Amino acid sequence: MGFFHRHRGLTPYLLLAPGLAWLAVFFLVPLGFLAYQSLQSGNFDVGYSFDWAWGNYWDALERYHEQLTRSVVYAGLATVFALLISYPLAYWIAFRGGRWKNLLLVMIIAPFFVTYLIRTLAWQTILADEGPVVGIFRDVGILGDGGRLLATSTAVVAGITYNFLPFMALPLYVSLEAIDHRLIEAAEDLYASRLQAFLRVTLPLSLPGVVAGTLLTFIPAAGDFINAELLGTPKQAMIGNVIQSKFLELTDYPSAASLSFTLMAVILVLIAIYARVIGTEKLTG
Amino acid sequence: MNDMLTRDELLRRAALGAGLLSMPGLLAACGGGNGGSGGKRELAKTMRFSNWTYYMDVDEKTKKWLTLEAFKKEFGVDVKYTEDVDSNSQFFGKIQGPLSRDQSIDRDLIVLTDNERFLATVIDKGWAEKLDKDAIPNIENLVDVQRHPGFDPDREYSLPWCSGMTGIAYNTKLTKQPVTSMEQLLEDKALKGKVAILNSFADTLGLVILENGDDPGKITDDSFSRALDRVQAAQDAGQFRGITGNSYTGPLASGDLLACVGWSGDIEQLHLDNPDLTWVIPKAGGMIWTDNVLIPKGGDAYTASVFMNYIYDPEVAAKLYGHIHYISPVKGSREALIKIDPETANNELFFPTEKTLSQVHLVDPAALKNQSYNEQWQAVLGV
Amino acid sequence: MRFVRRHLLTVYAILAFAYLLIPIGLVVLFSFNNPAGRFNYTWQGFTLDHWRNWDGVPGLREAMTLSLEIAFLASILATVLGTLIALALVRYGFRGRGATNLLIFLPMATPEIVLGASLLTLFINVTTVFPLGFRTILIAHIMFCISYVVVTVKARLVGFDRSLEEAAMDLGANEWVTFRKVTLPLIAPAILAGALLSFALSIDDFVITYFNSGSEITFPLFVWGQARVGAPPQVNVMGTLIFVVALSLMVLNVLLQRRRESQVRA
Repeated sequence: MGFFHRHRGLTPYLLLAPGLAWLAVFFLVPLGFLAYQSLQSGNFDVGYSFDWAWGNYWDALERYHEQLTRSVVYAGLATVFALLISYPLAYWIAFRGGRWKNLLLVMIIAPFFVTYLIRTLAWQTILADEGPVVGIFRDVGILGDGGRLLATSTAVVAGITYNFLPFMALPLYVSLEAIDHRLIEAAEDLYASRLQAFLRVTLPLSLPGVVAGTLLTFIPAAGDFINAELLGTPKQAMIGNVIQSKFLELTDYPSAASLSFTLMAVILVLIAIYARVIGTEKLTG
Repeated sequence: MNDMLTRDELLRRAALGAGLLSMPGLLAACGGGNGGSGGKRELAKTMRFSNWTYYMDVDEKTKKWLTLEAFKKEFGVDVKYTEDVDSNSQFFGKIQGPLSRDQSIDRDLIVLTDNERFLATVIDKGWAEKLDKDAIPNIENLVDVQRHPGFDPDREYSLPWCSGMTGIAYNTKLTKQPVTSMEQLLEDKALKGKVAILNSFADTLGLVILENGDDPGKITDDSFSRALDRVQAAQDAGQFRGITGNSYTGPLASGDLLACVGWSGDIEQLHLDNPDLTWVIPKAGGMIWTDNVLIPKGGDAYTASVFMNYIYDPEVAAKLYGHIHYISPVKGSREALIKIDPETANNELFFPTEKTLSQVHLVDPAALKNQSYNEQWQAVLGV
Repeated sequence: MRFVRRHLLTVYAILAFAYLLIPIGLVVLFSFNNPAGRFNYTWQGFTLDHWRNWDGVPGLREAMTLSLEIAFLASILATVLGTLIALALVRYGFRGRGATNLLIFLPMATPEIVLGASLLTLFINVTTVFPLGFRTILIAHIMFCISYVVVTVKARLVGFDRSLEEAAMDLGANEWVTFRKVTLPLIAPAILAGALLSFALSIDDFVITYFNSGSEITFPLFVWGQARVGAPPQVNVMGTLIFVVALSLMVLNVLLQRRRESQVRA
């Protein structure tokens, strides 16, 4: 197609245009409004007015740094667990799945067909204090007598991990599936053990998938609120719960907005650090 | 003559008698476009009604809403019924955007609870249309206690849909002794870690305020602080397994919770599957809440009013509330129900006697609007 | 040693799937429950009633249909838009790379409730173009899915061996044909993965949908309204049905592929 040849310089912009336009209109505009709201002050009864209330941001950090930290920690733990659980699973599908690969992928997202609330309630039943799972844990000694799994930070992290598994597993699969098996065979021909072949060939080649999965899990998990609400106590409240409260219960829209931007800033800083550590090319391509 | 009413329908309605359509209402309905009280007084073809779940009687075989079908048969109005109110704060969060910009939210009737601030806020902000009282002569059937609520003293904008009670739910088998007071719930060590309270402060703090001997209908800074501190102390002592919304029902059913603050309607349903679960009004008193209908700005006030008038007929109300098992605000509905379903009519939870009603209290609407109280309560919730 | 290791992985994978699907198993099981009240927590007895009467809850079928329509449309459109962006980001240098990457990450980082409410503000300011309902739900879903597709497809494109494409072009294929016949098949798994993620996100979304749905009810909206006070077993039936239908379609797909391959070989 001569058009693209001649207009090579234009190609990237043409490719970007539709998607970015969509995001510009339906994300940036609302985000702009949100930014405007975050700098308002007043209260719901008398109304809000825009007056460069940077204090909202300072307030946010000062009062809710505990929930912010907790969100980062929970999301981080959930990401690590999701990675540990999903990697072998994605590996198995990619290398051993054969013609059933697509079916197995659909099964990974199957839990999403029954909605967040229903599957969390199902876990509530499975992990009930007098249920079989907790019973086994108590017998084996992982839990003390009268110990419980629900209404703890363990339950919240486990819930987040479970709900974000597909976001880790699918990108991992994408990378693993693309690995040319001949490379691994070649390594083994050159006297590498299976473990060495994995560490030296497979793992590095799957890193883009690891990075992608990590991002797709951590970023949304940091803002999650539903797991803490259903599986935790006030001691497990995350920043997402604070934002829900500010917006819905207290109708304090400037606080909700400034807290949201604070969370986004924290996430972006963490991504920047992450990019520095692993090398930006893996991140941005 | 308004062509909405055929001669047959008129005759049928006259035959029903007993206050269904008094003369003024009849004349008004015939008024059509010429006068009335100024606004449109024609019945619309459809009415859009947003409500909570389980608040309308449904026939599972035909998937029809019985009361709405009956209304349609009689008045020719098709009610588009959606059960999309699942939380006062969330529904309010959704409608405040359009309403604050003077836009219609495409609904004629919505339902909000009187024990959260949002009902009063919608009225205060002028986001509700006035009821067309001329079209609701049956408003006389409204029970006395609901006639002059704090948020709408002259019942100009709202009417009760149904009420429920908040009390203590507990598992008779697993608790060593009956749990009949908030003191037990908050401070009994035997229940430690297996208790939950509700995340709405009218429900929970209302009960604690009663336990403290104060009046939840007139909350002062003192009575509020006393109750709040008591709850915070229990929280710090690890008494609670959680502070929940409706999700206390699962753990209660499974035995993870021994006792909790809960709503009468829920426990009645849980009891059917697990007879060990029971609900009581605490000795110091319980709370009562009422879901009220409102006509949001842009909604068809006349059609909505005619509908509410239909509901407030004791015969209609009997069938509706006998089915949904929530407390009816319509005088005479219990008597009407006894003829068809005496068992339900005599159930204290659905048709409480005067004695029961005297034990439950309404929350102070001013307290609900107090931003400081709300913030302090949210802090207890960890946010 | 190799024998053990080979099986270790399989056993692990089966355990991982079991973990994923245990809650689903419970949901399926309770679709056969016969509760006396409206809560479906305690096992009361086996019944096929709710399967026979699967359509007995008003609004449930319509909600599921709406969710499926939106999920299909949103995932297809988001996948197209996202793949294009991913291609641009990985293969071309251009001004504004950093900003583009930022724009991709931001929607994922924005808490749903403020994003949903702010998007609603946009829509209600332009109600003639964006009447609240199907259109606005679809727009919102496409918006938040794009980022996930971009990141997923990029993971494939970053390590992509260009030599195959160069070889094709050396053999006379132009850019478009090379893209269609070489590149696309090779990145197809990533595109599929992105589409699956989008589908999952869309069919499960609650908060953003709630704010922007007008009076339409999607499956999650329906369920959240009900489950908090007692979801009827028909909800379980519906979830099970969708799961079974999806799996059946995939199995059919595999069987058809096998037939096609054996026909080619013959």
